[in-house]
Amino acid sequence: MHSYLLRASSKLEGTEVDLSALTANEIKATSGVAHSDVLIAFADAIVAANDQALQHTRHSVLEAMGAEAVVDAAGVVSNFERMVRIADSTGILLDDRMARASQDVREALDLERFRAFKESD
Amino acid sequence: MLSYQRAEFPVRDAFAEAHSRFWTRLAAPGAWWTGSGRVAIVAEARHAWQCVLYRARQAALTPAAVDGEHDHLNALPEVAVDVIHRVTTDPGRLSRKWFDRILEAGLSEVQYVEMIGTLVALISIDRFCLGIGVPLHELPQPLVGEPSHYRPEGLTTGDAWVPMLAPDHDTGPEHDLFEIRPTGNVIRAMSLVPDEVRTLNDLGAVHYLRNGQVRDPSASAGTLSRMQMELIASRVSASRRCFY
Repeated sequence: MHSYLLRASSKLEGTEVDLSALTANEIKATSGVAHSDVLIAFADAIVAANDQALQHTRHSVLEAMGAEAVVDAAGVVSNFERMVRIADSTGILLDDRMARASQDVREALDLERFRAFKESD
Repeated sequence: MLSYQRAEFPVRDAFAEAHSRFWTRLAAPGAWWTGSGRVAIVAEARHAWQCVLYRARQAALTPAAVDGEHDHLNALPEVAVDVIHRVTTDPGRLSRKWFDRILEAGLSEVQYVEMIGTLVALISIDRFCLGIGVPLHELPQPLVGEPSHYRPEGLTTGDAWVPMLAPDHDTGPEHDLFEIRPTGNVIRAMSLVPDEVRTLNDLGAVHYLRNGQVRDPSASAGTLSRMQMELIASRVSASRRCFY
């Protein structure tokens, strides 16, 4: 859903984004999104709860974007640490409207592979 | 009242206010759990990261490949501990069959939904603290009292593992739950226990956007552009292997 919203918001800005950075193992910049590399690294450090990486990446966001951005980015990361667990623990389906709108993005990122476990043991 | 005044960075008051509202709710009896049960749920969620079984399962191709018992705090039934540990540490690999076994083991759907709503709010607040580099908040002392056993009317089944209110529900005591209609399934998901949706709305509006703004790609809040917000949201979803 949010990869679709990323693309929709980038279209409004007249920018093309490289969605492959979202699922890449390594951290790389996403063209068209300012400071994407430091934001992805900070998000990864919070998800991993890696203290050393957190100190480093928090400082990187601070240097590149300022103190308020550190707080706002931490807010968004932690919001989605909640939302992914709600989605995955309740077995919800993607809403019809969003499924239609995001179909090409989901195919490009092969997001359906994450659904495989829902029907497994 | 929780505070971020000692944080290295200025944190707008809305975070402390929303987190404090959840802390107050956390300590009080809910719909299906007592205050002590609710505080035990979040204490177990914090403990889950130290579980040896979790680490062994993380390394396995599938969690079902590794048998064993969770290291736990002995405050909750084993079935509840399993839910808390799995949802906290490995949410992307939960399955319908696992959920069915949870119900067969004696946990009710309403207990399950309140448990999920409670522990995910705690995870969100803890991760925020981690992100800005402040210690985790001390858990509240539980209040005495009995759960309300409130179950809303108008539930539907078939769109998820748990019953949910219809996406356009706008009547009765739950008229306030959905800011937009039809609302998204991820908001409906907690509606079997309406207060869990209220907590979700409250925290989401401060951490991200109000529900009514989410579908408008031009909406943003704070210092990040909408593209930067969605980049982060997508990265976290992919890291946790979330299909949604």
